Amino acid sequence: MEKIVELKNVSKVYKIGDNEFKALDNIDLSLNKGEMIVILGPSGAGKSTLLNLIGGMDIPTSGNVIIDGENISKYNENKLSDYRAENVGFIFQFYNILPSLTVKENVDIVKDIVKNPISTEEALKGVGLLAHSKKFPNQLSGGEQQRVSIARAIAKNPKLLLCDEPTGALDSKTGVEVLKLLRKQCDGNNGANTVIIVTHNALIADIADTVINVKNGKIESVITNENPKKIEEVSW
Amino acid sequence: MLNKKILRDIWKNKSQFITVFIMVFLAVFAFAGVHAYMDGMKASSEIYYKEQNLQDIWLTSKDFNKDKLEEIKKTDNVKNAERLLTINANVIDPERFTNPDTNKKLSDLVIECNFIETNEINKMYLIDGEEYSKEKNGLWLDYYLANKLQIKVGDELELSIEGNTFKENVVGLVEVPDHVYFIKDDTAIFPTHTDFGFAYLSINEFPKEYIYNKVLETEEVQDAIDNLKELKDTLSKFGITDYSKIPDMITNSIEGIDDIDLSRALELVDDYSESKEEFIKALDNEFSIEDSYVFPYVIVDVDDVSKIDETKNKIKENIEDIITVTLRDDNLSYDGFKREAEEGDTYSGVFSGLFVFIAILSVVTTMNRFVKKERTQIGTLKALGIKRGKITRMYVSYGFFISFIASILGIVLGDLVIGNFFLEEEMAYYEIPYYNIVTIPLVYYVTIAIIVVITLVTYLSCRKILKEPAAQALRIERPKVKVRENSITTKRLFNKLSLSTKWNIRDIGRSKGRTLMAVVGIAGCTMLVVTAFGMLDSMKSYVSWDFDTINNFEYKLSLSSDYTDKQFDDIVSKYGDSTSMSTAIEFKNNDEIIIKALTINDSKELLQVTDHNRNPFKMNDDGLYITEKMASIYNLKVGDTIEWHIVGSDNWYNTKIVGLNRDPQAQQFSCTKNFFDTLDEEYKADSVYTNVDLSGIKEIPGVNTIQTIKNLEDGMNSMLNMMYSLIALLIGVSIVLAIVIIYNLGILSFSEKEYQFATLKVLGFKYKNIKKIFIKQNIWIGIIAIIIALPLGNFMTDYIFKNAIGDSYDFEAMIKPITFIFSAIGTFIVVYIVNQFLSKKIRKIDMVSSLKGNE
Repeated sequence: MEKIVELKNVSKVYKIGDNEFKALDNIDLSLNKGEMIVILGPSGAGKSTLLNLIGGMDIPTSGNVIIDGENISKYNENKLSDYRAENVGFIFQFYNILPSLTVKENVDIVKDIVKNPISTEEALKGVGLLAHSKKFPNQLSGGEQQRVSIARAIAKNPKLLLCDEPTGALDSKTGVEVLKLLRKQCDGNNGANTVIIVTHNALIADIADTVINVKNGKIESVITNENPKKIEEVSW
Repeated sequence: MLNKKILRDIWKNKSQFITVFIMVFLAVFAFAGVHAYMDGMKASSEIYYKEQNLQDIWLTSKDFNKDKLEEIKKTDNVKNAERLLTINANVIDPERFTNPDTNKKLSDLVIECNFIETNEINKMYLIDGEEYSKEKNGLWLDYYLANKLQIKVGDELELSIEGNTFKENVVGLVEVPDHVYFIKDDTAIFPTHTDFGFAYLSINEFPKEYIYNKVLETEEVQDAIDNLKELKDTLSKFGITDYSKIPDMITNSIEGIDDIDLSRALELVDDYSESKEEFIKALDNEFSIEDSYVFPYVIVDVDDVSKIDETKNKIKENIEDIITVTLRDDNLSYDGFKREAEEGDTYSGVFSGLFVFIAILSVVTTMNRFVKKERTQIGTLKALGIKRGKITRMYVSYGFFISFIASILGIVLGDLVIGNFFLEEEMAYYEIPYYNIVTIPLVYYVTIAIIVVITLVTYLSCRKILKEPAAQALRIERPKVKVRENSITTKRLFNKLSLSTKWNIRDIGRSKGRTLMAVVGIAGCTMLVVTAFGMLDSMKSYVSWDFDTINNFEYKLSLSSDYTDKQFDDIVSKYGDSTSMSTAIEFKNNDEIIIKALTINDSKELLQVTDHNRNPFKMNDDGLYITEKMASIYNLKVGDTIEWHIVGSDNWYNTKIVGLNRDPQAQQFSCTKNFFDTLDEEYKADSVYTNVDLSGIKEIPGVNTIQTIKNLEDGMNSMLNMMYSLIALLIGVSIVLAIVIIYNLGILSFSEKEYQFATLKVLGFKYKNIKKIFIKQNIWIGIIAIIIALPLGNFMTDYIFKNAIGDSYDFEAMIKPITFIFSAIGTFIVVYIVNQFLSKKIRKIDMVSSLKGNE
């Protein structure tokens, strides 16, 4: 299968005072295009760091991060911005939508930076929020807010959808709805979209095509799930 | 442990704490500094007046002889009284001296000579030389003049009083309490201490030639001389040349001859130039030079100041031929200095009060935000079981210690830097030998109030969070978005705006407090800059009004009080007949008798009268004109009739006010000579105005002082130079305060939006896109503040000129459009640069930490 993400000898070291903390330790990893990938691990394992490096939010201390054939670890800030704008959609645990903008405007905002976005209406329709487009975020429930965040991410039509604990702040039922939307994104667009979910919730791993276990800054295992569960079957 | 946290928190939030420190410091620095010198001026003068026994009452008359002086001394409540003979003398060779301000040799130097007997009242303060004594020769010279012109004790000055020259050694350098504010005449505003000064001399030093000439010029003596010459001719026809042998029969037949030594008088009558005293004594054997001195002034010291009005009235009633009786408040020096110090009260009130207000608003906002930012930490400490009191004390200590240290430093440095600098500047003009900055209790009260307000706000913000359950306080406060308000911005025109514009509009709506503080802070600072420049513009406009419009002459000749008709005829024939006469009048206003000046203007447009719009106009001959300011003070209008008389005259008149005029510094009545001639009064010019070139002419018989319009203008410009320092300070503090406020509120605004910017960054927004969004809002705030500040600056300047300056001035704000433009552009540049600097923080946003931090 075509590789979308390749990490070669990637390390990330944080300096805290005189001490060094190795968040990622010489990692090699390849991820396939069009898959739903779950990165699992306990708190402090390095899974978010991994996601941030893939998403161009951070750069490795050493090694190369190659996305769709491009080594983004050598990019300057400007090129990383372009990379994030055109290729990556982010979804966070606490949604990070802009409170002063309406639902529609939160999605519209990507039009300022993306060359070929999908229409706002289509994105909102996709997440079932078209009727709420004039509302402000604080008029929405947590699940709805996360759906705004997904709509904003998919409106960019990104190659990679990176999700950091997307269901962490949601109840099981709403979490499932969110996961359904992510699966839909992954399955659509002729397999061109890849979804990477970082979570410590092992139950979510069952729906993934690939499950990567991270521990102490190292990849402990990469498991290909031949028969992922249907999302409706998952609950926590 | 908590102490460590305090120190680390301060270090972590150093930029905010530094700005809070600077704002409190600047506010107290300006407030304490301005007060230190203003209050220092007042306190120093009071001590000086008391120590040197400044007179309580000034009396003028044609002559106070010994009997009158004794009579004054006998009046109830009068402690002591002294006579003065004051007359201006020209220094014969002024070219000896160089004006240090212009580095040019002096063309004229006038010294007001005060000939005195005793010096118990208005005592000289000796800086150098000998103590005064009536028996000593020499003169005690104005220390400021001596200092500027490098005149020392022992130097000799050759002086001339109306052509009578005399030489005096400088025996002392002095300052005198009624010469604190000392100007050439009322057309000058500021003393220059270069071409005009004062001196004190014993009456014994008065040039006797002057007295002899005055006696010989009298009509009585001139008639006697004519008669003697006639008699001499007749006697010579009879061959009588030995006048001692004139038969008694002849001498007895001449009327009033008893006092005359006729033979000696006849011997000297043809040429008495070398023996004037002998000739006068031959004419009047009772002549005594001592009795011939004319003392037009008496100064009075009273026992009980509270009874001064009674004393004033008694003197007025009992002493014959008295012209004026004035108290301290009517004295040019006392009132001029007091006014200057009081003007400062308004400046200090307006400027430093505003500094305090703007800075404190900003500090209060900052401390409130700081505590809110610490919310989760407060919650954590509470959850750990640390008592509320301890947590409160810890957070309150941030506000308290920072404002306390900044205030102490503000008072100390304000006093030392601003206070001393401006006190020295002021005292370069006002002659007080010892002066010090003073810190009055008000400064401490204001400082304590600042500390209390900051501490209280910190306490209240902290208490609000502590009142919440620990679990709730542990959660960060979600930004409040008011749906109803924001819904407006989703409709109609708003829909057409860009997202960043809508976002900024809603953000302003969400952070009303911060936005308001920013607008008030920037507008306040801009207003101060406009006011500072506006004051300068207005002063320049005043100089132009006074010197380009009203004083339409090159030279003003102030005539001696006793000039002869011949001298006057000579003057007008040579220099033109543009004259004026100023006299004191009393008028009735609501049962009160008010004393004011009346100028009878026959200047042929060389001394112009200006209307409301400062344009010159010609007065009619049918009544009195009054200045607009005075009309408003006394509630008078055109058409009103006033009852008035000239001070010293019993003729009361009822005259209609026929017009209003404006004068920047003399609030008085005016009329034409034609109108004055219709009254039962004699017009005796006291000033002649001319455009004839008088350069090189030092003395004119019958003229007391010759003033060039240029010298008067130089005096004004010297005052403007002092204003430059004050304005530079105001602008400097305003700009620093503006930078600190814009920076501080920018930081607050930035930290509130940091996680949103981080989100935008994650989405792929570039630095310049985010910067555009960030700067947009601050630029709007800056522009709104500027729009508000410009008219406020104009209003403030007007307020200062109309309220701070005494009733004798009629100033208003006259700010040039370019000043508004410069102030607006200047503020905009400061706003833009500070925001450019702040926006660099966007680059440094760590997306990961910012987003995590928000979680």
